[in-house]
Parts: sequence; C-alpha cells; structure tokens
Amino acid sequence: MSFIKKHPAHRHLKKLQKLKRKHYHPLIHAIHKKHNISKKTLFYVKEYGPHSNVPRTIVKESIRILLLASLISSLGGLALENIKTFFVTIIPMLILLPVLNDMIGDYGTIISARFSTLLHEGKIKNKWWREIEVRKLFFQIITVSLITAVVSSAIALIISGFSLYMVDVMVIFKVLLVVIIDVLVLVSILFIIAIFAGFYFYRKQEDPNNFLIPITTSVADFGNMIVMAVLVLLIF
Amino acid sequence: MRFLDKDFEEILSSELISIMGGLTVGIILAVFTDKILLIPGMLILLPGFLEMRGNISGSFASRLSSGLFLGVIRPDKFKTRIIQGNLIASSLLVLFLSFVLGSMAFLFSFFVLHVFIFRIILLPIVAGIIANAIEIPLTLFFTLYFFRKGHDPNNIMGPFVTSTGDVTSIISLLIAMVII
Repeated sequence: MSFIKKHPAHRHLKKLQKLKRKHYHPLIHAIHKKHNISKKTLFYVKEYGPHSNVPRTIVKESIRILLLASLISSLGGLALENIKTFFVTIIPMLILLPVLNDMIGDYGTIISARFSTLLHEGKIKNKWWREIEVRKLFFQIITVSLITAVVSSAIALIISGFSLYMVDVMVIFKVLLVVIIDVLVLVSILFIIAIFAGFYFYRKQEDPNNFLIPITTSVADFGNMIVMAVLVLLIF
Repeated sequence: MRFLDKDFEEILSSELISIMGGLTVGIILAVFTDKILLIPGMLILLPGFLEMRGNISGSFASRLSSGLFLGVIRPDKFKTRIIQGNLIASSLLVLFLSFVLGSMAFLFSFFVLHVFIFRIILLPIVAGIIANAIEIPLTLFFTLYFFRKGHDPNNIMGPFVTSTGDVTSIISLLIAMVII
C-alpha cells in the first residue's frame, strides 16, 4: 500500500495495520481526528492490511448474504418450475423473464438508495405520505417502470414474431397485461417495504443502505417469479 | 410537483440500456429452450445462478472502486496483494455457491420431480468457472480503465456487470452443457 508510505501519518497507519482485524481500536478515532483521514480509508487500511488474509476476509463477510440472495432467487424459480412445460411455450414471456428480474431488482436498489438518502438528509418526517420527495420518487419509479415494461414487451413480441410463435392482438394484450400488473404490484410492494424497513433501521440508528438493498432486491427476484407464475396461469 | 427532472432522465436512460442485457439472455433462453430449460430443476438453478454472477462481480467492482478512491489500489498495477486476494475470493465464492445451487436443484428434481439428474450439480460448477474466467478479468480491467479515464466506476460498473454477467452466465451454461 504505497499510499501509507507517502502519507505524513505513515507511522500511525503502520500501527493501525498491525492491529488484529476484528478489533475496533481507539487509534482509528485518534488518527481520524488528528490527521483528518476519513474513517472509511482507515477501515480499508485495517480490513485489508498485511495482518489480514484478503480472500478469507472477503469470503467470510460476503458468503452469507450471497448465499441468501441466491437461494431466495432460486426459491422464486420453484413457482415457475411447476408450470414450466406451459410457461416455455409462451415465447414472449420466456424472453421477458430475465428482463423483469433485472428491471424490478434495479428499481428495488434505486428506491432503497434514494429513500435512505432522504432519511439521512432529514427530509422525511413521520407522515411520509405527505412528503413531496416521497411522492416524487414514487411517481418517477412507477413512470419509468411502465415505460420500460412497455418497451421491453414490444421488443420481446417483435422477436417472438420471428419465431414460430403466433403473435396476434390477443397475445399482445395478454403479455402487456401480465407485465404491467407484475411491475405495478412489485414496485408498490418494494416501495412499502423500503419505507417501513427504512424507518425501522433508521430509528435503530443503523444505516438503512446496508439493509434495504439486499432486502428489496431479494424480494424483487422472489416476488417477480411468484407473481409472474400466478398471472400467466390466470391470464394465458 | 415536477417529477420529470434530471433524476427521471438518468433512471430511464440507464434502465433502457440495462434491459438490453436481460433481453439478450431471454432470446438465448428462447432459442435454446430444449437444451437449457427442459432440464428438470433448471428454473430453480437459473435465477440464483444469474443473481450470483451479478452479486459477486458487483461487489468485486465496488471493492476495487473504494480501494482506487482511497488510494490503496493503483489503477496501473494489477499484481497487488489486494487485487490477487479479491480474485481468489471471487473464485472460491463462485465454486461454493454454484455447488449449493446445483445441490438444491438436484434435491428438488429428485424429491419433487422424481428424476435423478446428477449433472445438474456439475453444470453450475463448470459454468461458474467458465463465467468467472471471463467476467472477473473483464470487471477488473474496466473498473481500472474507467477510473484512469476519470470516471467514477461506481456509477458505471453496476449496470455493466449485471448486463455482461447475465450474458456471460447463460453462454457459460451452454458451453458447460456441451462439455458435460
């Protein structure tokens, strides 16, 4: 870490690197105050210093959340696995499956990140439904999700038209109906989760950013496949 | 209340680019339905496999970006302890998670569908190794490249790794099927 050698506080930083990784040490606070180095930089120096095993640190810290996220996504697949033989015959929905998974997960991330920032900025009071910023965020996400849903459905229908799949007015209507209901239901659910979970973690004096994104992206993946399976069965 | 502002434009444009990756995967799925989706348990394996790829590459790019901004990683040096540690960690995570996902799909096929299909365990492991060999160097190269060019990799690498990760994963699954 050449940054440490060149820094005027190099002696303190070397000391910090020698600390055991798991221990919080008052030295972090002291260096932060004295040399005005951000706590994030000091955290990084301590986390990946010569006394820590980098691969082990990363694997240990991330394996649980990665495992949980992947398993939740796969559980959503159970719903579709049960109707697979029927589902794979609807080519436009097959094309749209990964698109919707990605898209709704992205909206979960955006809602979480922006709602967390609003909480940190103190722009949200208890009566959140009256706040202009919350309403604005909701209308922005709903509008973008409807536009992207229609655009992706149109592309999927055009591509399906080149296959042997018969695309008529009824199919276009059904595909649009499934996609629009799916997107509206899930974006609304994600919004409610982000608001209530965001308030909960914020009141516990935790950073909502660390919790909301994994929660909403997992719910988005899991929910999308369940809602999609139900809608396909009901509408097609 | 005016909600069609700069934020709206940024979200819309990044989402329109992002759906292209998903559409590519969807088209590959539709073309190779008989090879990919008709394998019992595949719809359980696939969402988790795609999610895993995006998460591992996404957090790898994010860790690199933090290191670059903090000055503990240099954009012109590849062979450093932190970068090599990250590469090893990503490979270990892929191997373990692929095995877990494959085992889950196998157990579902065996107990629910009453089909004994052992290759569903091997499939994600082989595909994970292939996808990792492509995606991790790609993520490393482009994170350092965007930083050198004066961009914030945090803003670019998220949609980049989810889109390229999905395409790489599905192609790797196809290659793995040929191998197995």
